[in-house]
Amino acid sequence: MSAARWAGVAALAAGIAAVVAAPYVLPSYTVSLLTLMFIAALLASSVNLLAGLAGLVSIGHAGIAAAGAYGVAWATVHGLGLPAALGVAAALTLAVSVVYALTTMRTSGIVFLMITLALGITVFGLALKLSSVTGGQNGLTGVRRPGMVGEWWQYYFFTAAVYGACLLVLAAMSRSPFGLTLRGIRESQSRMTSLGYSVTAVKFVAILVSGAFAGCAGVLLAWNSEFLSPSVASFSRSALAVVIVIVGGVGTLLGPLVGAGIVVAAEYWLSSYVERWQTVLGAVLILVVLFAPRGIVGGLEGLAGQLTHRPRKEGS
Amino acid sequence: MIPRRWKRQRRAARLVLVVLAVALAASACAPDEDTGGGETGGTVKLGFISPVTGFVAALGTDMRRGWEMYWQQNGGKAGDVTVQTVFEDDTGDPEVALTKARRLVEQEQVQLVAGPILANTAYAVAGYVAGRGLPTVQMTGADDLTQRKFDPLVLRVGYTSSQSNFPAGQWAYEQGHKTAVTICPDYAFGWESCGGFVSAFVKAGGKIERQVWHPLGTQDFSTYVAQARQANPDVVFIGSAGGPDAILFYKSWTGFGLKDRIPLVGNCCFADQVFLREVGEEALDLQSFTYWSEGRDSPLVQRFVQAYEQQHKEIPSLYAAGAYTMAQVIAEALKKTGGKIEGEDFINAARQVSLSESLYGALTFDDTNNVVGPVYRTRVQRRDDGTLWSVVEQTFPEVSQFGTEGKEAFLEHPVFSRDYTGQ
Repeated sequence: MSAARWAGVAALAAGIAAVVAAPYVLPSYTVSLLTLMFIAALLASSVNLLAGLAGLVSIGHAGIAAAGAYGVAWATVHGLGLPAALGVAAALTLAVSVVYALTTMRTSGIVFLMITLALGITVFGLALKLSSVTGGQNGLTGVRRPGMVGEWWQYYFFTAAVYGACLLVLAAMSRSPFGLTLRGIRESQSRMTSLGYSVTAVKFVAILVSGAFAGCAGVLLAWNSEFLSPSVASFSRSALAVVIVIVGGVGTLLGPLVGAGIVVAAEYWLSSYVERWQTVLGAVLILVVLFAPRGIVGGLEGLAGQLTHRPRKEGS
Repeated sequence: MIPRRWKRQRRAARLVLVVLAVALAASACAPDEDTGGGETGGTVKLGFISPVTGFVAALGTDMRRGWEMYWQQNGGKAGDVTVQTVFEDDTGDPEVALTKARRLVEQEQVQLVAGPILANTAYAVAGYVAGRGLPTVQMTGADDLTQRKFDPLVLRVGYTSSQSNFPAGQWAYEQGHKTAVTICPDYAFGWESCGGFVSAFVKAGGKIERQVWHPLGTQDFSTYVAQARQANPDVVFIGSAGGPDAILFYKSWTGFGLKDRIPLVGNCCFADQVFLREVGEEALDLQSFTYWSEGRDSPLVQRFVQAYEQQHKEIPSLYAAGAYTMAQVIAEALKKTGGKIEGEDFINAARQVSLSESLYGALTFDDTNNVVGPVYRTRVQRRDDGTLWSVVEQTFPEVSQFGTEGKEAFLEHPVFSRDYTGQ
């Protein structure tokens, strides 16, 4: 194994060790923030899947997450068991994802963005209006996590594990022929069409897959707060997911995690001390866009590439 | 080939990012200073959550000011107990509110949480804090918090959204109005506000011609006002959450020339100070049913208004008065328990608090932890210095959250919604 490979393995081991050790060394509140970070990172990853591979930026993904969240919350409140609740969440997520996919699969760029924006707002409106199902603005109370992950530290491990599993799937997908097809579509739609790919069908599937990850994030979110209200589908949630992706690095595997860390830190920790934490977050976003257009992880990867390549150049 | 200037810029950018990171990391170590106090003799630590940023920042800021003013006027003490408050901002989002409540309870180790204001944030916070066995004091309107979702650890120092509108319905019928149209925003607060008016008006014998629901944040009210005019009722009730909606509605209402043709009755939050400052002259003589009247003839209210105006250069809102009253009830309860805050015992002590005078008037609590207190019929008038404010014309004492029905009968109905307003 090369030195770089070893460094990668060591970093991975250190990362996993840190994640496992966290609840034993950190106070419970900080651990609950880490839980939120993993959930935000998962939602951002679902946006990143479309944005990074296929170049489709969705600004309405909180709507899909909300479908998963409302599915599981509604089922739990109505006394359904865990498998049934997850079934309802999956069915609702699928239904909403299909609507997203059907309405956007023939578009790209700004049109895609606008339609997803409209869809996100539609879901928000429905959550607000269908009060007999969603509880309207008052929300759904009485949502409970499954017993085996009831404690805060259990739930933290569960969230981290779900995120880890999703990360593996995402990594595999990005290298798969399907991932390459999506990249091809991003680079040139017309060329992919002339090569015989059905661009529309590929996009349709990609949106469903991305929706599945968003739905997972929604379920985790509902279980985390044990309460649900329409703001889970709000525009600001969708927009924050895009901010996370941009700050972390579009198209990078770990970008959403880094971005989520920064956003969660700003939203929950900085805001206790600075009233204008959004301004600070905005400044960070501007700095990143100006000086690290590929995001923090993208920028670091570039830096690492430069460092490892330089000695070789000097040697030859 | 990259120009050297770019490289230098990039290096500078990296430097900026590193400095930022170090600054963030360094300040991360800061907040451990005030771990003293808390449990030691004679000090209690309270958490206060309100939205001071985001789309309801105005309400949250007023709340914080009202809360601070009470402790300022009382030397930061309740009897000999020193009260320390940790403030948090919920941005109007339940997820944030919940996480902030976690911080207050788990990290700051507060003994009680007060606030926030929006129904969904309040439910999220109350559920969590009560789940940890700690008491929480609320001022949000959401009816069910002290009704169908009653929790012995949650006390509401405030009125439910429907509570102050029961007398409005009854009164309107007694004035000889046989038919009415209601206009309310299309979400829980609006449903409950209109529910209060409609149920009482119908019970008295009146007939609702039409219920108009408008979306929150409506820009053009002309179609809604036209619907109300078409029904040609004897009286129109508007249950507004205030803000731009109230102002835009009223501009449309006067624009249609309905001001002197159909009597208009508002709820707690329709003709508030923001509304009066914007609408001006045209608002004179507007009638509302509310529990906060800044022009009420009471030394306590006038002292509060004067002190608040001196400090913040505006007449205090319902939210400032509400947070002030929350602080007052908590202080009275602390005096009773000798500074101990122990779950249900504290809430029970607080429920026994009976104020012969508060900013809202004489207050007691019912056995599901909600205020029983007066509702005022107010009228917009000019103060001596020319400022518009609402003065009391009639007092309806001891109004309960269950209206005139009694608890059992009332709780048999579902909570007010778009489909059920008590008709």
